[in-house]
Parts: sequence; structure tokens; C-alpha cells
Amino acid sequence: MMRNKFIGLVGLLVILSLTLGACGAPATTTDAGAPQAVEEATQAPAEEAAAPAQEAAAPADANTLPRDETLYFNGQQWGSVVGWNPYSSSNNNAMAISQGDNARVIMFETPYLYNMLDGQVYPLLADGDYTWNDAGTELTFKLKSAAKWSDGTPVTAEDVAYTWATHVKYNTPIGAANVDYIEDIVAVDPQTVVVKAKLDDAGKAVNPLLVAAYVSSNYVMQKAWTETLEARVGDDATAFLADPAEDVVYSGPYAKYFADDSKVVYVRNDNYWGQGPSMWGKLPAPKYLAHVIFKDNAAGTTALQAGEVDVSQQFNSNVQDLWLKDNLPISTYLPEAPYGIGASLPTAWYNLNSPGLDQVAMRKAIAIAVDYPTIIANAMTNQSATFTQVPRSLMNPTEGEQAMFDHAAVADLQWAGNDVEGAKKLLDDAGIVDSDGDGWREYNGKKLSYVATCPNGWSDWQAAIEVVAAAGKEIGIDITTNFPEWSVYQTVVTKSDTPLPEGYDIFMMGSNGAGPTQPWGRARQMMSSEFIGMPSNWNGNFGGYTNPEADALIQAIPAETDPAKLKEMYTELVKIYLTDVPSFTLMYRPQSFHTVNESVWTNFPHEGDGTNPPVPPLNLTDGWSIAGLYNLTLVNP
Amino acid sequence: MKAYASYFSNKLLWFLVTLVAAFLLNFFLPRLMPGDPVAAIVARMAQGMTNTSGVQAIYEQYTELFGTNLPMHEQFFLYVRNVLRGDFGYSFSQYPRTVADVIGASIWWTIALQLPAILVGWIIGNTLGVLAAYRRGGFDKVLMPSSIFVSNLPAFGMAVILLVVFGVTLRWFPTSGGYGFDMIPNLSWDFIWSVIVHYQLPFWSIVLITIGGQAIGMRSMSIYELNADYVKYSRFMGIKDRQIVGYVFRNAMLPQITGLALAIGTMVGGALVAEIIFSYPGLGSTILTAVLGGDYPLISATTLIVTIMVLIANFAIEIIYGFLDPRIKAAQSD
Repeated sequence: MMRNKFIGLVGLLVILSLTLGACGAPATTTDAGAPQAVEEATQAPAEEAAAPAQEAAAPADANTLPRDETLYFNGQQWGSVVGWNPYSSSNNNAMAISQGDNARVIMFETPYLYNMLDGQVYPLLADGDYTWNDAGTELTFKLKSAAKWSDGTPVTAEDVAYTWATHVKYNTPIGAANVDYIEDIVAVDPQTVVVKAKLDDAGKAVNPLLVAAYVSSNYVMQKAWTETLEARVGDDATAFLADPAEDVVYSGPYAKYFADDSKVVYVRNDNYWGQGPSMWGKLPAPKYLAHVIFKDNAAGTTALQAGEVDVSQQFNSNVQDLWLKDNLPISTYLPEAPYGIGASLPTAWYNLNSPGLDQVAMRKAIAIAVDYPTIIANAMTNQSATFTQVPRSLMNPTEGEQAMFDHAAVADLQWAGNDVEGAKKLLDDAGIVDSDGDGWREYNGKKLSYVATCPNGWSDWQAAIEVVAAAGKEIGIDITTNFPEWSVYQTVVTKSDTPLPEGYDIFMMGSNGAGPTQPWGRARQMMSSEFIGMPSNWNGNFGGYTNPEADALIQAIPAETDPAKLKEMYTELVKIYLTDVPSFTLMYRPQSFHTVNESVWTNFPHEGDGTNPPVPPLNLTDGWSIAGLYNLTLVNP
Repeated sequence: MKAYASYFSNKLLWFLVTLVAAFLLNFFLPRLMPGDPVAAIVARMAQGMTNTSGVQAIYEQYTELFGTNLPMHEQFFLYVRNVLRGDFGYSFSQYPRTVADVIGASIWWTIALQLPAILVGWIIGNTLGVLAAYRRGGFDKVLMPSSIFVSNLPAFGMAVILLVVFGVTLRWFPTSGGYGFDMIPNLSWDFIWSVIVHYQLPFWSIVLITIGGQAIGMRSMSIYELNADYVKYSRFMGIKDRQIVGYVFRNAMLPQITGLALAIGTMVGGALVAEIIFSYPGLGSTILTAVLGGDYPLISATTLIVTIMVLIANFAIEIIYGFLDPRIKAAQSD
């Protein structure tokens, strides 16, 4: 009898918990389709982390974030936040700390904000434009007198100078990346900063482009707080970078509110200096910025559909279905494909040391045979411009970059793909033919077979690389695919001081996106031989391409200021790139995916929204796109 | 009593031998994986760096910090020394967090999800199994096929079905997270309620699968025992039905208890599928990230916990068996 009672009890518990659960169902959400099974790992960094149980900042007032005061994100934070130290790149704190071409500026601020739509920089901490001296060796800018730290003290030129000195002293990634181009940064007076370029033997700046990019790419940190940190770690460089810096002083409009395994929340600093007339004239609209930590893209998409995410920075497969089929108030920057603005060029690289791939004919034949429309339709679900819309070059599809080269001059070098006959002819003409009749061509008497590879789990890249392999079969070259784990892949591909091992004949890597040094930076990434021999090469030219002519152009461009000359030089670089085919772009990818759900907030950036300067679709956090946070309004005020 | 002592010491010896072997494997196996985890950290540091010497300096700094530049045997002795002090070092993939911090943050979610799910699944499954064996007939005819069906569903299939049906379509339950997307953890009824609600789908996705397997196993064991000679003999002797059921239950339970112990031992490994489908916090996805990222210290620490828990569970079972079932002790101490 005991048994029967027990079963009854269990049954009761089951029913009770199910019923209770049902009653407590969240009253949100609109109709949503089955979660997309497409796992799209490209934005999920391999070294993403699980969360630190950081103590709740004991919210005194709100246990629940008011929906109409909170802007929710996805696709930026994968795994939990590790720290708040703006000197370190190991914080896994994507929303708060991300320095670079379009630096994320919700907590820490750069002197200037880069706008990928018009290629201009706009002052943030800085007051007015920067100026170069006549010799082009020193860049000067002033700081806004209104700019304040979160502790109320003013942001001074001394802070800018000390930030740089600290980067150099502790050999931070930013220090190491710029020390070859920046000699020093000094404070002339409390408001005036001079960035001194490193000079070459001729007394010219080594690279004025990179010097200018510094002021829109890197945060200014407070000298006083930096000294506190230095004292705490006793000048130990490793400890300096490993410090989680919970006490950090910041100048931006948001700071830490809460972080744990499940989410990270930033709260507005209502004393933010930028609400004054010298900058924005008001506070950003949302009081809280929150990012729930999803474990994959499918979960993120489901939350976006449910209205639990306002701004989605992740690949949502077939994004148009969200409004066309599900009738949700969801939209992208452009209403039609490609839905966003392509900024980077995911590219297949050739290992130029593989037998046969040292031949231009072979490289070009494979590249022109590839079915790019299939890659764009399947791997990217049309969230990329096609190569008919934006013919290939070294430039991304933004207007600014497209204007940098002479389209007519390179037109007959460009290809849109699927040219199997052309590819066969190229190979035949080069004498690379099938002489033993087995259906595969031979090179130097050996059957041509290559391995095309990309990281496992990066489903759009995997789909793309399969299409490349299929193209090989069409033209008599046996290309098989292999998908190692990212941890292995990245170690192999970035080791440029030894030849690439077997299995890496054709491999994928991303490219630089939009930024103040582009398209020069991308051209350098694709073609510069200066990276050959680096033990940890995250810069480019992974396949070992060398062309002195290209090197000379890449060397010369940063110092060139004449637009006509620049255009000529870029056109020449594109010509070399499309002729030699050291690598070939497979698709265009936006700087950030930017899909918004307007159930709660509206007035997000869209193409032709009338903002001037235009607010780029970078999730209202990166570079000039943070201007969008000030434009948001509630759907139901 | 002497028999027990000999049985016990024999088991203890094997326990220690297994522990040492497992400990060695825990250390060496992850380190035999291809790929250089320090390179991954340097990758984060070195993005955009163009000077060779700078990258090399960073690389050396971190190989030294993590000790990966030392010969393997030296690393091992360092590891042993640190582990004995309870120090598992830094996690590579989540540097500068320590392994203890990473595990400490997720393990409670995992235990809170797995332990009740395993126990409830086990209890319901076994009860249903015994019932099916006793009652036969219609009950059995329905239960058996449905148990086989459910237990053969892959875990992710069950999780996705629950998610789509109860989360997306019916909207009875939230689709992701350990608590409300708009909540900050605190000790309020709202928050506790939110945790309970978010708990349901991951919990049942594990329980339902467990029930099926347990029910099938228990049913077979019970049927076997019901036909055993001692049952017939007991009936013939006129022993009360209830008492016979007691004998049967005790005998049929033995393998099921082993299964339970193993499940509890391995539960720290995490409910990977439930965690990923429902974006539920826990150790499973942490371990997956660690494995993919070659995070040796984290892999070694988590596998060591799993190993120790399985060994303890096994050891405990062996000892309890000695008392529960004299046959086993007799066979072992011969």
C-alpha cells in the first residue's frame, strides 16, 4: 500500500509542478516559429567563457529591470564577463570593453568616434577636429572642458598621455600594436594632446594612418585610477592585466550594474558629462542596457522573436521570415536583401606552398569556378551582397571604400563565379590536364587533390567551403573538406614562421571590417609580405604570398594624401590582387548584424532615417552608432 | 566480521589503484590533444599586433605563467602539488579567472538541476517498472512501448520538443535562462518563482528520458525475479504476498541502484543538452568550452571531480552491497 501512496504522491507532484509552471508562464511573446536549428557560430568566439559569479551589485531599488527602461541585446556577450579592466583584452566583457576601428563606447570613451557610413570621425572626448602639423609628424587635438570621469574629476590631456605610457610600460596589446608607429603622446596643457608619430630614416611618419586611427580606436583611462591599479599589483605586468578592476573609473554613460552566469546589466550614469550641450545635450534613452547570455544562436533568435531582445547582433538565419512570415515588428537596416551593410570579406586563402597552388592559373581557375550565389543564398541566407551587385576587389561594399578605386580599370579582371568552362580553359592552357583519363587533372605527374578547411561548428563557413570543394570537382581537381576545432585551426593558420601543414591547402579567415585605416588595412592584410615569419600572425597573408610591387604600394599609401594618387594606387593593388589571386572572397559580411525588435523601443537606425550624420547599424554601441541610443523612443510612452 | 574486513580492504585497495590511474589520465589525456591553448590566449592579446617580438614576448609570458613551457613530468608534479593544496590554477579559456571560481559559479546550477532530475526519474521509472511487471495487462502494454520510445529519443530531441511545444507554441514556460530575463537575483518570491518556472523544461527534459530507461530495466528485472524459484517456493510455503514482494523488490533493485550511483557520480559532468537548448546555467557547457579550447586545468579539474564522485559512488555501492546482498560478499571474498 505504501507503494500506491507513493505513486499517488509523485503523480500529484508532477501535476502540481506542471500546473504551477503553466500559471507562471511569462506573459510576453508573440507567435514564434520553431527555433532555427542553424547554429551559426561565427560570432561565438571559441574562447568564450562561462560566467564568474560576480556578486550582485545589490540593487537596492529594482529586482526586476523595468521593461520600458531597459534595452536588451544579444549576440555580443558569449559566456560570462570576466573583468572590467580596460587595459586588458581578457575581460570577455564585449559590451563594455572593445577597442578597435569601431570602439564600443558605452563605458569607456575614445577621443573620436568613427562612422563607417561616411568614413568620418566625430569628436567625443575631443573638442573639434584634430590637426596635423605641416611636417605630418604630430597630430594635435583638444579635449572638451566638460568631459568628466565618473568620480567627477575632469578628463585631462595628462590622462590621455598616461594611458599611452601605461600601454607601453606594460606591453599591453594596444601598446605593442602601436609602438612601432607612435613615438609618444604628450600633454601640452590640461586640454591639449599631441600624438607624436614615429619617424623613419627620412624623418617622415612611419604610418600616419595608424597614428590617426589611434584616437578613434582606443579608450582614454584615468591617470589616478591607473596609478591605484599599479600600486595594487606592485607594477607586475601580468597581474596588471589580470586585475578584474571592479573599481575602475570611467567616463562613458553606462557602468556595471550586475553580472553573473546568466546576464550582464549596465546602468546609466545620470551624472554623465555628455548630457551637456557640448556633446549630446541629453542622456541616452534606456536606463539599463542588458545582455542575457545565450548559449547558442538558436536560443538568441527565440528570445528575439519573443520580444525579450531589442537589438540582435547575431546571425539570424532567414531573418526576413521574422517579419514576412511571423509578422513580428522586427526589421533590419535595409528592408531587402542583403539587409545590412557588408563590411568584412570572409575569404578563402590559398597555401601558396602547396604543390600546384603556386600557379596563378590553378588559383584563378578554382576561384572563378566557385558558385558564389549558392554560398550567399545558403550560408548567408542572402545577408550578403552578391558579386554581381558589388564586384570583387579589396574593398567592402560601403560607398566610401567603393569610391577608392577605378571600377572600369579592373572590370575585366573581376569574376562572379560559376565559370566552369573558363576555369577548364585556364587549366588546359596552362598544361594542367587529365593525362591518365581518371577524371582528375595532374600537375607534375601527380593527381591534383587539395584539402579545403575551416573551423568546425562555423556553419556558414563550412557551407561555403563545401561549395568551394564542389567547384573543384567540376573542373577536375579533387578538393575534400576538413573541419578541425577552432582551437587547433587558429594555432595552425596563425603560425607563419613555418610552412602550413598538410590539410591546409585552402582555408578560410575573416578580414578587417570598416574602419579609419581601411581599405588600406585590408589590402595589407590580404597581400603584405611583412607578416611572413611571425610566430603568431593575426594580421594576414596567411598563405605566404609575396609581391614586391604590392608591398611597395602598401608601404606608400599611408603617407599619400592626394586623393587622385590614392585612387590610382588602390586601383593598382586591386589589379594585382585579382590577377595573382592569393586568396578569394566568398561573401560580404556586415560589421555587426543589426536586427531590431520594435515591440518596446523604436526609432532605431534604418537606411534613410534622416539622421545627420547618418547613424550606422552597429547596435547603438560601436563608434558613432552610439548616437542611436539618444534617438530611441518608447513605442508606448 | 573478518570476511567483511577482508572484503572492505580489498575494495579500498582497488579504489586507490583506480583513483591513481584516473588521476594520471585526467592530467595527461587533455594535454595530448592537438592545439596549443596558450596560443589561443595570445591570439586574444595579439590581435592587431604587427611586431614579431611583441607577440613572442606575450607568448613566453603566458607559457611561463601557466607552466606549459616546462617538461610534461615537471608540469605533472607541479599539478599534483597544487591539487593537494586545493589549487587548480587559472582557467586558460577564461583567464584570469581561476578554475575554482569557474566551477564554483556553475556547479550549483548543475547539481540543483541534475540531482532532483535523476532521483525523480529514477523513482518514477522504477515504480512504473515494478507496476508493469506486477500488473501486466493493459498497463504494461501501454507503458512498455512508450518507455522504449521515450528512452530512445535523443536528449536534444526531447529538449527541443519540450521547448517548441511548451515554450514557443503554448507559451507556458520561458524558453531560456535560469531565471527571468528581466530579473536580478535576490531573495524575493518573484525571483524564486521565476527560478522555479525556468527550472521546469530543463528538468522534465532530463526526467522523461530517465523514466523510460529505468522503467524498462526495472520491469525486466522484476519479471525475472517473479519467476525465480525462491518466489514459487515462498508461495508454496504460504509466506505472505507482501513479504514476497519485499524479497523481489530487494533483489530486483540491485542493478538499478548501481545505475543510480553511476548517474549521481557523473552528474557533475552537467546536463549539456538541457543547458544548451534552454541556455541554462551550469557546468556542462563550461566543460564543452574547456574541451574545445584545450583548457587543460579546467578539463582536469572537472574530470577529476567526476572521477572521484564515480569512484566514491561505486565504492559506497560495493560496501553497501556487502551488507545488502551476502551473495556478493561471499563471492568476492572467496
